[in-house]
Amino acid sequence: MIPNVAPAPADSTATPALAPAGTPGKAALTRFSRHRLFASPGAVAGLIWLAAIVAASLTAPLWLPFRTEDQDFTAVLSGPTAAHWLGTDELGRDILSRIFAAAAGTLGTSMITVLVGVGLGTILAMAAAGAGDRAEAVISRVTEVMMSLPGTVIILAVIGAVGTNIPLIMAILGVLISAGIYRVMLGQAKSLQSQLYVDAAKVDGMGALGISLRHVFPGLVNTIVVQAALIFAVGMLIQAGLAFIGFGPPIPEPSWGGMIQGASQHVYDAPWMMVPTGVVLALTVLAANAIGNALGKAPNAAASHLPSAAARRQRAKAVSAAGAADAPDGLAKGLLSVRNLSVGVDNGVRLVTDVSFDVEQGTVLGLVGESGCGKTMTALALLGLLPSGVSAADGRILWNGMNLAAATDKEMEGIRGRDIALISQEPMRALDPMFTVGYQLTATIRRLRGMGRNASRAEALSLLEKVGIVDAAGILKTYPHQISGGMAQRVAIALALAGKPRLLVADEPTTALDVTVQAEILSLLRGLVKETGMSVVMVTHDLGVVADICDQVAVMYAGQVVENGRTADILDDPRHPYTLALLAADPHANHTDMPERLATIQGQVPQPKDWPSGCRFAARCQFAGSACLAPVPLLSSGTGSGLVRCVKADELAVEGLDWVATDVAPHRLLDLTPEQLNVTEKDLA
Amino acid sequence: MALFVAKRLLMALATVLVVAVLAFLLVHAMPGSPGAVSLGAGASQEAIDEVNQRLGWSDPLFSQFFRWLGDAVQGNLGTSLIDGRSVSADLASRLPVTASLAAGATLLSAVLGIALGVTAAVRGGLLDQLIGGFVGLLVALPAFWIGIIFVYLFAVQSSVFPATGYVPFEVSPQDWALSLALPVITLAVGGAAFIARQTRASMLEALQQEHIRTLRATATPTWKILYVHALRYASLPIVAGIALQFIGLFGGSVIAEQLFAMPGLGQAVQTSVSTHDAPAVQGVVVIATVVVVAVNLVLELATKFLDPKLRAS
Repeated sequence: MIPNVAPAPADSTATPALAPAGTPGKAALTRFSRHRLFASPGAVAGLIWLAAIVAASLTAPLWLPFRTEDQDFTAVLSGPTAAHWLGTDELGRDILSRIFAAAAGTLGTSMITVLVGVGLGTILAMAAAGAGDRAEAVISRVTEVMMSLPGTVIILAVIGAVGTNIPLIMAILGVLISAGIYRVMLGQAKSLQSQLYVDAAKVDGMGALGISLRHVFPGLVNTIVVQAALIFAVGMLIQAGLAFIGFGPPIPEPSWGGMIQGASQHVYDAPWMMVPTGVVLALTVLAANAIGNALGKAPNAAASHLPSAAARRQRAKAVSAAGAADAPDGLAKGLLSVRNLSVGVDNGVRLVTDVSFDVEQGTVLGLVGESGCGKTMTALALLGLLPSGVSAADGRILWNGMNLAAATDKEMEGIRGRDIALISQEPMRALDPMFTVGYQLTATIRRLRGMGRNASRAEALSLLEKVGIVDAAGILKTYPHQISGGMAQRVAIALALAGKPRLLVADEPTTALDVTVQAEILSLLRGLVKETGMSVVMVTHDLGVVADICDQVAVMYAGQVVENGRTADILDDPRHPYTLALLAADPHANHTDMPERLATIQGQVPQPKDWPSGCRFAARCQFAGSACLAPVPLLSSGTGSGLVRCVKADELAVEGLDWVATDVAPHRLLDLTPEQLNVTEKDLA
Repeated sequence: MALFVAKRLLMALATVLVVAVLAFLLVHAMPGSPGAVSLGAGASQEAIDEVNQRLGWSDPLFSQFFRWLGDAVQGNLGTSLIDGRSVSADLASRLPVTASLAAGATLLSAVLGIALGVTAAVRGGLLDQLIGGFVGLLVALPAFWIGIIFVYLFAVQSSVFPATGYVPFEVSPQDWALSLALPVITLAVGGAAFIARQTRASMLEALQQEHIRTLRATATPTWKILYVHALRYASLPIVAGIALQFIGLFGGSVIAEQLFAMPGLGQAVQTSVSTHDAPAVQGVVVIATVVVVAVNLVLELATKFLDPKLRAS
């Protein structure tokens, strides 16, 4: 009967990082909560219902047609009539009047459980988070014990000792429930306690209590309100349950549970009787739950890596409407040709626009740029593995006579692993923690190569040796958490090679690794390209990696390719100011003489919704001018087959200007203000 | 692992001991001395005192508790003040009833809850919303109310199931199953809703993990990603949720037993509390705790076993 309060599921804990410090934070948080609350129709209905019940109950003596004890012997066990809107019970008492007379007591005593349970749980969580590991261990142990008790039986034993003193019983119930609240709150309280501003406050000499109240509590407010709403519902259900088994308020006094108990005696001759009270109780519980759930909904949950069945069906429909995925023949075998590719969120915002590049067989293309430039989105589009809600909106990805940008998930399943494989940034997270390396490798080999059990094991061993793992047999038996990051990346590469792919998409494969391991992994990849003749699309922000391994480079900025061409050309003779800036800012690049200070690029990559229609880099560019306000095409840069997207490229090449290390604001050469640059595509359209 | 099991066993023992002390104190706080309760109204003060004397009621609490504990360890939980029967024997006959109820309800809620939760997470779209609304409704409905509705539908309107009563398994397995059906379903409704929510959230979280993308990149069929890899990842929180649910359902049997007139532990608690039958209350609290703690321990060990990280350490 006592529903144990489990740690809330993933989507009902608010992100603690969102909570700012201090009182302004509290105000902001409350505003935020209100906003979310009113966004949910269910929660609004819930609020209205609760308010109406409370108001109706408190004013009940003024308007109720009957007193709760009035007995109408002419209408015993009647259904709804003009006199008794919701019918009467076995003594002819009016059900409507009794429901509303009982409401205030039920809601009020449930609040006692809320106050004790949520209050105690919060205090325990803040104390455990603030008082160090030992205190936390003790409190956690005690709450674990409390959660593993048969709460109902204990509550009944308490009733045996103290009688049906409902407020006291509801308070004790709150104590039992506080253990569950503590579990929900602890993680969040600890994360708030470990914020940098809390450390700063400690250095300033603020006491533990002060920190808890000023810095931790405001961040917990939303969770507290959510839990309070949910526990309120639990309290009502339990109280009604107790009344149902005969431990409610003394007899003539009405209670919801007691009324349902009375109705259960007449299920044979007056089934209607259980309907009104049950519905009111259920609606009230629903109302509290709706409020709690609306407030507890995480504002932005991470996207699923597997589109739901509904999303896949939608995709297949869209693709078949747009026409087949067949592409014109005539392209060389093993050539990847991306033409005018755009990737967009389903709501219309574009993350990548008009990207084109070719990757010839056996060559390595580097996609370079800062974070947020669309490199990873471009790379994932090649495999049809864009996150849910993001898709290739325009353009073509031509591969072996197919347009992958218009392929269904089913068609892509035939391509992935066998033709195009993926290595991702964090090898530890790329491997399934629940299965051994051996299982993951052999299952993949069996699937992609149609091998038997023994043959696939032998192939797994040879693949692991190929990627430089000495103790291959030993590694097969391990789980991913038992091996190092470098080792895990080797395993991930072996996994990618399992289907003998012709193209490998590597999304920052060395970023998460130690510098020495980085070099090993790069040299492994270089060897594999030579040996197998596969091509690689390498996403990186590291120009050192580019110099090391790439044949071609496409520099991306804000969803566009701003310069591409042969690696040597671009590194030695960059034409786009962004490429210049990246090189100037790279500590490892071959500066002719090591500059006294490294250059920086002022500002940040703009958000996709803020991209201007003109040059997207202009706002941060040292060379920007009024010509940069118009859309810029990708034109030949004059060095080999290179292309560049800059109206001033020729001018810069002639004058031989360098990106300089400076604190001076951008636009030093220039005649325009940042406001002017803030013209969006929509404004011009 | 052995150390972990030993630690947990100690914890479980400590829990039972703490509850035993608590129950002992609560029972002593009950109104009415044992003599007064067992002899009923109208008994002479001398007779009451004599019974109290015999039961050692005025001895120090400390020695009374240890006397009770010594007997309890040997399986003797005292005799009922009301009918003079052995509390141990009475509870031993009631335990199978509640155990069948709680186990059946846990099993049914796990099966239904996992099926609903996985479907909601996997299918998405309208079906997800429909299941979400349905589950939200089930969570809000009080079990005893659902029980009455079931009685009305399946026992009054059509006599598919018996409305009340319990038939022991030894007497007739078929009637045993029929007599359990309605109470088990009644209890399982709320439990299934809870587990469905837990399952849906855990599945969605599993599908957000990066290794799902690796699986897709190696052309793993969708069914295998969902039902082998994601479900395996989600199994830890789901089993933890089922463990919590068992505790709730074991307590919830009080209501189901009352509603369906089943002679289980819940009914024993309810009657012994109403009649101030101290030894019976104390016994049933301790036995319920032992059962719940033991099952919880088993499920907790199962959770640890499911997690390769914990298994290895």
